Amino acid sequence: MSSYQPEAAIRSSGVAVSGVRRSRAVQVARRRDAWVAYALMAPALAIVAVVMAYPVAWEVWTSFTAFSVRDEGRAFVGVANYRAMLADTRFWYALVVTIVYFAVTTGMKLALGLGMALLLVRPSRLRGLVFLAVFLPWAYPGGVTVVAWYWMLNPPLITSYSLLAGNIKHAVDGVLGAGAWAFISVALFNVWRGGSFTAVFLLAGLNAIPTELFDYAALETRNGWQRLRHVTLPLLRPFMALAIFLSFTTAFADLANVWMLTGGRIIFPVIGTYAYWLGIRNGQFAEAAAWSLSLVPLLAVALLVLFRWFDRRAEQPA
Amino acid sequence: MSRRGRWRHAFLLGVITLYSLFPIYFITVQSLKTPEEDVFGSPLWVAEPTFENYTELFERGEAQVRGYAILPKVPFVVWLANSAVVLAASVALTLACAVPAAYAIGRLRPTGWRWWRRGLFATYVVPQTILFIPMYQVVLALGLDDSPAALVVIYSAMALPFCIWLLSAYYGNLPREIEESALIEGATRLTAFRRIMFPMSRNALVASGLFTLGTVGQDYMLASIFLLDRYKQTVAAGLGVMDVSLEELVAVAGVNMAAIPVVILCALFARGYVRGLTAAMVEGA
Repeated sequence: MSSYQPEAAIRSSGVAVSGVRRSRAVQVARRRDAWVAYALMAPALAIVAVVMAYPVAWEVWTSFTAFSVRDEGRAFVGVANYRAMLADTRFWYALVVTIVYFAVTTGMKLALGLGMALLLVRPSRLRGLVFLAVFLPWAYPGGVTVVAWYWMLNPPLITSYSLLAGNIKHAVDGVLGAGAWAFISVALFNVWRGGSFTAVFLLAGLNAIPTELFDYAALETRNGWQRLRHVTLPLLRPFMALAIFLSFTTAFADLANVWMLTGGRIIFPVIGTYAYWLGIRNGQFAEAAAWSLSLVPLLAVALLVLFRWFDRRAEQPA
Repeated sequence: MSRRGRWRHAFLLGVITLYSLFPIYFITVQSLKTPEEDVFGSPLWVAEPTFENYTELFERGEAQVRGYAILPKVPFVVWLANSAVVLAASVALTLACAVPAAYAIGRLRPTGWRWWRRGLFATYVVPQTILFIPMYQVVLALGLDDSPAALVVIYSAMALPFCIWLLSAYYGNLPREIEESALIEGATRLTAFRRIMFPMSRNALVASGLFTLGTVGQDYMLASIFLLDRYKQTVAAGLGVMDVSLEELVAVAGVNMAAIPVVILCALFARGYVRGLTAAMVEGA
């Protein structure tokens, strides 16, 4: 597994190393290194464990009980909550909406981010200023900006553009069902902010590609699109994988923020907000735990793909 | 590049600038309007700008009457200070824990080092949904109830996996000769790290710090759940309790006020952010 040879440490201590002594010295040094490594990792692991370990265990355990405000006995019920969830048509509807929401927002973020990164990587006098402008949506504190954004697209009072906003809302809701515009306005915010993050991320990726590769590619390919498809995109793959994954985790946070801000008046038909609604509004904690854990298998698969894409590159010799 | 190509490039740069700035411009325009203009003016610009919504955030006293409603005054300056403290402490704690861990994973490579950082990264898969209920129990057990310190620990836990991932990639990719030459000179590991590797990783540290800042800035939910005392709240938690229909423009003003320092920080460090990401992921220098 470990390819690290702590020979440097031994050389530095001035020991003449050869033969058997050398291998034992290496072993001792390696064991010491391992202890040092664990000690150095301890604070970080402790923080993550304190914040996550008990809550995750609690959530998993609760999903197998009957815990709710009406039944605080927390009797063990096995997979009953999951079975009820799978039999619930609302669950399947919410699952489809969640997947579509993730896919559409992530696709848009990638497309926008890639476009902006490709524009920014070309040298230009304006580049510095444009880069700052592109950076700004992500830098703007998202937790509160989403509120401002939401109120702007769904103005509560009669403002100068309430009529226009109302017309858009009714047009969209008429086609897609009540509440669609509220949902879309949050999705747009998520794309706006996440696209900025993705652009900066992919710009870093483009900067990492040696320019000779592009010069070579310019000779080998016929046009820009081919170059993009056969050279740029494959090289950017690990960066895109990381950006996509981080996009998943923020995609839901924005919806949750708006849900909390509006006091739970708006129910977005995605898994996460239904789980909130079950847990906070209805007090069905066990069902809420089961619902929110239902996405874990999907995310875990995404994570494994990410590890493959990312680490394979890292294993290549520099 | 041909002349036409250059114009097209400049035009497209203009488009993405407009696209990125428009939402911020739009909310700012609304927040500068008088109540009359908010109703009768144009949505796209402001004819008679007023800073009424902004100054209202800083007025002293407990309550005021507007129309028929009694609105509580907000301790906005306190919120700003609290946010700054939480932000600074989160960044400091995250970096203080991430740097040694990343060095250990990237350089010392204990058995299964790849799985350590993968395991940390996997915490992003855990759905946050109702996790705050057991988290509250943890916070109570630690005696951090209604204290910003609870948020600092939670934010750090959220930012750490990414920062460790990034920094360990950076330290792992550094050519080994850099560290070895110092060791041969007789320096200890710690000195070699402090004098050479740590200063070299400046941009990667900037990238980690800005990512932490983004994590803190993105949260509204946890802040509103864990901070209930008006004088201990951060801007996010505080603005959330405002009345939507009466004070939305004041809240927008608050968003902008809170954003100013963050934007300045980001403008200062944005270049380092990109360089740090690039360095960590590829060449390591």
